[in-house]
Amino acid sequence: MNDVLRVRDLGVRFDTEAGEVTALDGLSFSLGEREILAVVGESGSGKSTMAMSVLRLLGGAATVSGSVELEGEDVLALRGEELRRVRGKRAAMIFQEPMTALNPLQRIGAQIAEALRNHDPEPERLTQYRDRVRELLERVEIDDPDRRMRQYPHQLSGGQRQRVLIAMAIGCEPRLLIADEPTTALDVTVQAGILDLLRRIRDESGTAILLITHNMGVVADIADRILVLRAGKLVEQANSAQLFAAPEQEYTRELLEAVPLLGGRAEPSTVDDNGPALELERVTVRYGGGVKAVDEVSLRVGRGELLGLVGESGSGKSTIGGCALGLVRPESGAVRLFGTDPNRAKRREALELRRRIGVVFQDPGSSLDPRMTIGQCIAEPLLVHREGTKSGRAKRIAELLDAVELGAGVADRFPHELSGGQRQRVSLARALVLGPDLLIADEPTSALDVSVQATVLALLARLHQELFFGCLFISHDLAVVDNVCDRVAVLNRGRVVEQGERTEVLGHPSEDYTRRLVLASPVPDPVAQAERRRARTGEA
Amino acid sequence: MLRYLTRRLVFAILVVFLVTVLTFVLLHLLPGGPARGILGMEATPDQIARFNQEKGFDQPLYTQYWDYLVRLLHGDLGDSYTKNEPVSALLAQRLPKTLLLTVIYTLIGIIIALPAGIWQAVRRNRAADHILTTLSFLLYATPVFFLSLLLIILFSQVLPWFPAQAAQDESLGSVLADPGSLVLPIVAGAAAVVAAFSRYMRSSTLDNLAQDYVRTARAKGTSERRIILRHVFRNSLTSVVSMLGYYIPVIFGGALVIESMFNYPGIGLLFWSAAQEQDYPVLLGVVLLIAVATVVGSLLADLAQLFIDPRVRTAKR
Repeated sequence: MNDVLRVRDLGVRFDTEAGEVTALDGLSFSLGEREILAVVGESGSGKSTMAMSVLRLLGGAATVSGSVELEGEDVLALRGEELRRVRGKRAAMIFQEPMTALNPLQRIGAQIAEALRNHDPEPERLTQYRDRVRELLERVEIDDPDRRMRQYPHQLSGGQRQRVLIAMAIGCEPRLLIADEPTTALDVTVQAGILDLLRRIRDESGTAILLITHNMGVVADIADRILVLRAGKLVEQANSAQLFAAPEQEYTRELLEAVPLLGGRAEPSTVDDNGPALELERVTVRYGGGVKAVDEVSLRVGRGELLGLVGESGSGKSTIGGCALGLVRPESGAVRLFGTDPNRAKRREALELRRRIGVVFQDPGSSLDPRMTIGQCIAEPLLVHREGTKSGRAKRIAELLDAVELGAGVADRFPHELSGGQRQRVSLARALVLGPDLLIADEPTSALDVSVQATVLALLARLHQELFFGCLFISHDLAVVDNVCDRVAVLNRGRVVEQGERTEVLGHPSEDYTRRLVLASPVPDPVAQAERRRARTGEA
Repeated sequence: MLRYLTRRLVFAILVVFLVTVLTFVLLHLLPGGPARGILGMEATPDQIARFNQEKGFDQPLYTQYWDYLVRLLHGDLGDSYTKNEPVSALLAQRLPKTLLLTVIYTLIGIIIALPAGIWQAVRRNRAADHILTTLSFLLYATPVFFLSLLLIILFSQVLPWFPAQAAQDESLGSVLADPGSLVLPIVAGAAAVVAAFSRYMRSSTLDNLAQDYVRTARAKGTSERRIILRHVFRNSLTSVVSMLGYYIPVIFGGALVIESMFNYPGIGLLFWSAAQEQDYPVLLGVVLLIAVATVVGSLLADLAQLFIDPRVRTAKR
């Protein structure tokens, strides 16, 4: 097998205001024809830096050392025009956020045509490449290519945009495709389609694929070989089956153990009925007179119960969270918090209802006020509801910071001084400061690395045991919900398609949509994943 | 789209209406009143009373305003107190000259500013960028009247290249017949436009150069030149275009100073002398004109945005 890519002793340093930072150190590996090599690691491991450095896309602040040989030619030695000729021709790249990765003001067709024109020895007008663009759009299975190529990126869905990026990348038939988190911004069902497409491109054209991802399920689905990175250094490399079955390094093992498993918790949950905390009865929400965001949804979260609300983007998950918080007014139907409709309650009553709810949002970076100290952030609900004396509040903050395992010492620090996981602990502390009877957690761990997610989820479970609040847990991740919740409701296009006990709904789904969702969620086990792939695609 | 445009238009008319109310009230709150201004300090209370009665100034303000508004809708802006001419005629005579001056210096300014801004962004933090940045800050910080004075001293007094004032004839033709007299006012006006817009363009280009789509373009082998011309330029233009719409009052404000410095017989000079003579109808007329220009300007900017940016087009449908 010929090596398409050979990386030797790759090092990347960034010149920052805080001094020099080493992002990659002494990384060596190679990638053969037809091979899919996955590079995994948590944020800050240097995996994206590595991907960028292959095509020298890191910009002026980076110093790259070592060698990157693409079909025998050292990319790091190339300059100007020579480098331009390699980019997109010998190796092409697929990026993470397909919305921002496309020029918002240029038509899809023109953007793909430009990739072709860039490597045409006799460049023509972009419109001259129309036939080839149509072929490419057909190859990445975009419906109605003639219409699509006249459209702008914002008129396409996330999955279609990712396909456009892939079409752009395979246009010049590169020997190497570098895919940097190509499915991270997508729903699981869309993700499955993109992974199938990448696999097919490899099978048909023999393209080597360097896949950067943090998702072990994706890795198990598609990778032949795996590279584990940590803090810019290679931890371990092995073929897929071997790495999942018997990781050699402690860090790899920890990483794999942190991944929540769908179906990993066998015993069904039993929760005594202690009366409802939150009830939604045939709630319908419509935004701006358009389509229904939420359509006749009925839900119930009992006191002390954890209800998981799962669904893909745009299914109405967060809108339901908003209804429960009284931030979104339903068009019809009833919302009841502890038996009272917050939309009909008097001011004082509504305030009292809010006192009994805590909320944690997805992005801890933006849901904490950057100009407030951690202590002030946590104390704010107490001040709003005029609770406690100054010293009493300080004591409560210290208690909570202990409870979320941060320690009272961080009270005087600012959000930006903490890591993402630490900030989410602060959000949790703030949500719990009033001792709520209901917690609404909207994708609380989606922005976190798996190892951090595992600790936050463990913390949530522990606090739930101690404080016994009802919880509406909103997530797109079935495995997380399976590990955290007692009951599950599955949402599709604003409707609840299925709801019930966790092991029932996720283990033996009765609805077709749930079944598809479960099968599309990749599990971190190559053998099981291959089976699921067969079940999903109906291959022999 | 049509609904959006209608809404936008109704809103624009409302703004103009509010401007007429505001300027009307403000001008009538000025001490002295027009009678004193026109009849002079020696006028007897009797004369003033008679004047006020004649002109309707003894009526309550809302009646005066209503009369003003009704006449306005008939295109009648009233008569100048001091020039014995209808305000509309004065405006019609002066406006083309001001338009000539402002359009030329704005265009020249933009034509210089856009490439300069892009060039600075591409050479960010290098010597060329620093020099241009210093220059544009210097220009930005220099008051227009001071720059005009400098220009007059340097290029009219020391080096007698251009005249220090424009032709004083009533017609536009006479101004055009003597293009040399336009050079210094245009340079003064364009300098301010260059200073402001090269900064906008620089930061807008820098923002866009850091976007993901530029990285994509690079990754597919697009040349830097093409990235700038085909991708970054148009994206950067969107924010600059809307800025230009809101910049119209500033350009008019600049014209006011420039016209009085170079004795250029446009709207600015008219406003200047009317303010000194407390010529209410003329003041109101000019303010109204500027208000309309501002509203139309931001409307045009929004329309241009619709034209440039397909996302706005979809959102407003």
